[in-house]
Amino acid sequence: MNSIRPADAAPTDWRQIADWRQVALRFEAEIAKAVIGQDRVIRLVTIAIFARGHVLLEGDVGVGKTTLLRAVARALGGAYERVEGTVDMMPADLIYHTYLAEDGRPRIEPGPVLRRSEDLSVFFFNEINRARPQVHSLLLRLMAERSVSAFNREYRFPHLQVFADRNRVEREETFELPAAARDRFLMEIGMEAPTDPVLRRRLAFDPLFHDTDALIAGIAPDVIDQASVVGIAAALQHGIHASPALEDYVVRLWAAIRDPAQAGIALPDVAMDALVQGGASPRGIAFLIRAARVRAWLEGRDMLLPEDLRAVFAETMAHRIFLEPVYEMRRESIVPALCRAVLDTVPAP
Amino acid sequence: MRTRAIKRPRVARKIRVAQESRVVVMAGILSACLPLPAEAQIGSVVVRSPRPFGLFVGDRFDAKVEIEAADGFAPQAASLPKPGPLTYWLDLTAVSVAPGPARDGHRLWRLSLTYQTFYAALDVRRLDLPAFTVTFASEVAHATTSAVAEVPGWQISVSPLREIQPPPVADPVEYLRPESPNPRLDPALPRALAWAFASFGLAGLLALARDRAWWPFRHRPARAFAAAWRQVRRQAARPDAEVAYREALLALHRGLDRTDGRRVMGEDLAAFLARHPAYAALAQPLDRFFRASREVFFGRDPSVAQRTCPFPDLMATARRLAAAERAAKAGGRS
Repeated sequence: MNSIRPADAAPTDWRQIADWRQVALRFEAEIAKAVIGQDRVIRLVTIAIFARGHVLLEGDVGVGKTTLLRAVARALGGAYERVEGTVDMMPADLIYHTYLAEDGRPRIEPGPVLRRSEDLSVFFFNEINRARPQVHSLLLRLMAERSVSAFNREYRFPHLQVFADRNRVEREETFELPAAARDRFLMEIGMEAPTDPVLRRRLAFDPLFHDTDALIAGIAPDVIDQASVVGIAAALQHGIHASPALEDYVVRLWAAIRDPAQAGIALPDVAMDALVQGGASPRGIAFLIRAARVRAWLEGRDMLLPEDLRAVFAETMAHRIFLEPVYEMRRESIVPALCRAVLDTVPAP
Repeated sequence: MRTRAIKRPRVARKIRVAQESRVVVMAGILSACLPLPAEAQIGSVVVRSPRPFGLFVGDRFDAKVEIEAADGFAPQAASLPKPGPLTYWLDLTAVSVAPGPARDGHRLWRLSLTYQTFYAALDVRRLDLPAFTVTFASEVAHATTSAVAEVPGWQISVSPLREIQPPPVADPVEYLRPESPNPRLDPALPRALAWAFASFGLAGLLALARDRAWWPFRHRPARAFAAAWRQVRRQAARPDAEVAYREALLALHRGLDRTDGRRVMGEDLAAFLARHPAYAALAQPLDRFFRASREVFFGRDPSVAQRTCPFPDLMATARRLAAAERAAKAGGRS
């Protein structure tokens, strides 16, 4: 996915990219008006937008996942569609909508995915884990190829970005995303309620945060022109320099995450040589580099640093690491610890 | 071996039963409940002497005394003959007593005695061993009955070692036999065992020292910047300035990593200084170092770095870091 075509990079040069950085920072500032205390998550979502990757938000109920995504959709501009995952949803529900019209004749209208046809830029899938695997597989194609087959033709969505969220509290009537679908997401971002007492007090008492619609309406719309993000994103990937030393660092990181025992990493109560079953795919590493390049650009640099990789490492890699079944139940504690240990162990430079 | 048994007819003496003597009226009533009569309490007394003849001065000889006592009676330890000199020519060297088999309501008690004679006989003659008594007491709780077994004396025959008038010799020393030489012991095995135990002990001590992190396994607190400074100094002598500069940067990176226990990147500098206030004075040189490192390793033009932080600056930074580390370690801070 997201292959860089020469035509994408053509109309932009480095100065233009630097101007775009200001736009990106303004975008972040707008989102931060509505979603307070989530600077890290906002930064990661911004990185995902300019890396042209799909995002899965995960977190507790009511921490602001949906608010954040609505805010992003508003500030991002472009056509926006939203669906709610339910257990009886089928792929067809996304593609078309059938009903009896006033004249009593059956009608077929395009569903949420096709309604805006090629302009669709933000597709927001709420509670994705409530949808069935059939829906996940439709989504898989939508995310991977940005296209869908319907009504005997293929629809393409060149600007599409999928944002999904799921809460990790409930297990009833939910369907775990298949590994292939999770691997399509650029990032899986964990979202926690802010811990700062001042922010907590504001969230509890400021009436602004009680009315989500008003909160979203307060955000300046269309801060980023979604149509030109494709070109900027491609230019970014060309413009940020990755040195041989950094390439070595990435290769060492990759080796360490695939074979932590070999890299001398030890976690308590874990047999390191029988921990990682698979994952950390080449696509995952490519995503890591894409996201890191965007982060370097947002930091105002034209070179990629190990810090950039570290900043996006857990979000881009953790959901692509598949553990042996015996450790899968403790995944939520083991994988972050493994990511931390890898970053603390692999020398940079 | 021949055994000479000296037997005595059943001799036993009734000592007393206090109640019996005082309350005559009750005697008849109690007689049924009273312990067995004294005659029945001690049975036969047999002295067995395996070799009571042919004894020379200094010889040890054994005697076994078998005393039959009623069940429930045991010899009183205090009444046994005490080891020590008995007469001017006879010592008792060891006494032990052991219960034997029980038969017909009697138990056989075996008394083992070892004597030593110092009688320097001039001719073959018989000598009397002293008789003695052994008191047996009932083992039943609160019993007041005891009985005495009389062990009779017996005889041994002693012989002279030499004739009364030995033939005269020129040198009286010739009467004496030369001392037998001491046996030569082979020291090989004890020596080998000593070495084996010593090495085993040493190995054990080493293992213990390693486990307890005693010297020499006790690592000194690592002085990461001291090592980095040594490496940077070594790089100064290298002919290829470019490579030397890179190696020096790497050495300092590893020093920072080891000091912090994790990988320290440029963005972590503030947090690093907060964790290790000893290096706070070096914030600016460290910042220059990180900027130079970025240019060298990740930048497009490595030569920019040498302008940001020339090699002498780098050396000075390394030296100051090592000094700050030494001061901090000595002061107990880090």
